[in-house]
Amino acid sequence: MVLARHLYLRMMRRGRFLALLALASVPALVYWLAGFDASPGELEVLYSDVLSTAGFSYSIAALILTVATLREERDGGTLPYIYMRPMSRLSIALSSIAAGTAAALTIALGGWLATVLAVVLVGADLTQTLAGLSLYAAAGFGYSAIFVPLGYLVPRSLLVGLGYVIVVESILASVVTGIAQFSIFRIALSIYADLAPVFDMQGAGEVLGPVTPGLGGGLAKLAAVMVVGIATLTWALRRRDAL
Amino acid sequence: MSETITVSTLSKWFGPKVAVSEVTIGFGPGITGLLGPNGAGKTTLMRVVAGLQKPSQGSVSVLGIDPRSDPSVYREIALVPEDEAVYERLTGRAFVELAAKLARVDDPIEQAQKTLEIVDLVGSAHRRLGGFSKGMRQRAKVAAALVSDPRVLLLDEPLNGADPVQRAALIELFQRLGEEGKTLIVSSHVLAEVERMAERVVAMVDGRLAAVGSIATIREAMTDKPRKVFAECSDPRALASALIATDGVVGVFVENGTVQIETQDAWGLARSLPRLALERDIALTRVEPVDESLESVFRYLVENR
Repeated sequence: MVLARHLYLRMMRRGRFLALLALASVPALVYWLAGFDASPGELEVLYSDVLSTAGFSYSIAALILTVATLREERDGGTLPYIYMRPMSRLSIALSSIAAGTAAALTIALGGWLATVLAVVLVGADLTQTLAGLSLYAAAGFGYSAIFVPLGYLVPRSLLVGLGYVIVVESILASVVTGIAQFSIFRIALSIYADLAPVFDMQGAGEVLGPVTPGLGGGLAKLAAVMVVGIATLTWALRRRDAL
Repeated sequence: MSETITVSTLSKWFGPKVAVSEVTIGFGPGITGLLGPNGAGKTTLMRVVAGLQKPSQGSVSVLGIDPRSDPSVYREIALVPEDEAVYERLTGRAFVELAAKLARVDDPIEQAQKTLEIVDLVGSAHRRLGGFSKGMRQRAKVAAALVSDPRVLLLDEPLNGADPVQRAALIELFQRLGEEGKTLIVSSHVLAEVERMAERVVAMVDGRLAAVGSIATIREAMTDKPRKVFAECSDPRALASALIATDGVVGVFVENGTVQIETQDAWGLARSLPRLALERDIALTRVEPVDESLESVFRYLVENR
């Protein structure tokens, strides 16, 4: 708990927090600007587009944040203060991923609240937006499980992660069915699709591709990603040089 | 000496670069000075002993435990890393308290306060580490290492950036910890400081052990390097001519009214020099060895490679 809290506070320093909050709020801003004089029908289509935009902006925000969890400790030379402690490597891995997830969820909450505000400002139906939190939260869990170990293992992890978001999540997952099934954003969107009262299969559904909407399936996939992330990080802490 | 750290045929390489090669050595209670030029492998050796890096070959055991396989040993080991790495946004107190909490110390607040007192940082403990001078950061790092009262302390250039008063205080602290029976390995490039605090020296050159022991023992073992002795007397030329025929003396130089003697037999010279001076009615005003210091010994070790 002490370690998770320390890592969380280190990640969430003010400048970075505000910048990433702004990035995660871009879809809400777009929605507010474009939806000011829109009709209810247009707003529904617009909201669907906002979800797709959120997939990209929030992915980048979560990447920047979570990849730094242990990478900053390694690059800054402070990792020995964490590593040389009488705690199991599994505990360090769990604390790190918990801190990354909490940080990603904090930004997610901010991005979601910005969306709620935009929906209120344009006078659209709020019920649809409530389910949006599940999209952000599920994506936050998934990205943290991938990017925290990536940050520990790979020196230029931000670039590698960016490559993953752009090439794998945005391009490959939209053309290769097998990859789409393990795209974090699509898993999160499948959970949202199950929880949202209305889901536009023509708009956001296109992003979803072959992934079937479903809360249980989405959560199971996220759990699997989380287990793999924790196991990978524990292995790396045990087997790889810490400095 | 009961060994608390055992290093057996340890090698560590990074790709084609060999940082530490076939090192076998033990460390026991007290202060051991770890010396070597830049790139000699000192920091790598410390990191491997600390469990931060995995040996490419060989093994390390601290208090009978391999630190890579059992993190419980970290109750008893602490490292003060070489670089200035600290959490710049934390205050000195928060930094030491964090170290205490992560080390699962009983009453971390109280223990942090005690340790800050030991390194004389209580007055500045409310300030952020980012605003600390280099010497204050070193003391904060030492406090974070000491907060769990470890039996083994690895100190990588712990005196860097400290002013003379702070250096003296830290050396005194390390000596006290050594006397209490803790094992301290101190690497430093300031040889005079190592000479002052360490009773045992480990010299590394090019990733290998060049010498181990007390400075006197190491110098004694360098039979290929004649001992140099400087003598000031009333008649240098007469003393020089008398010394040339002495057993063990391999060179005598008279320069600026003094005599520099090179001998293979230091003890023999110690006995014969006063006798020769007495016989020839020469007044000896000063006699001292020139190359007995750690600096000279170290220079020879590096030259030999």
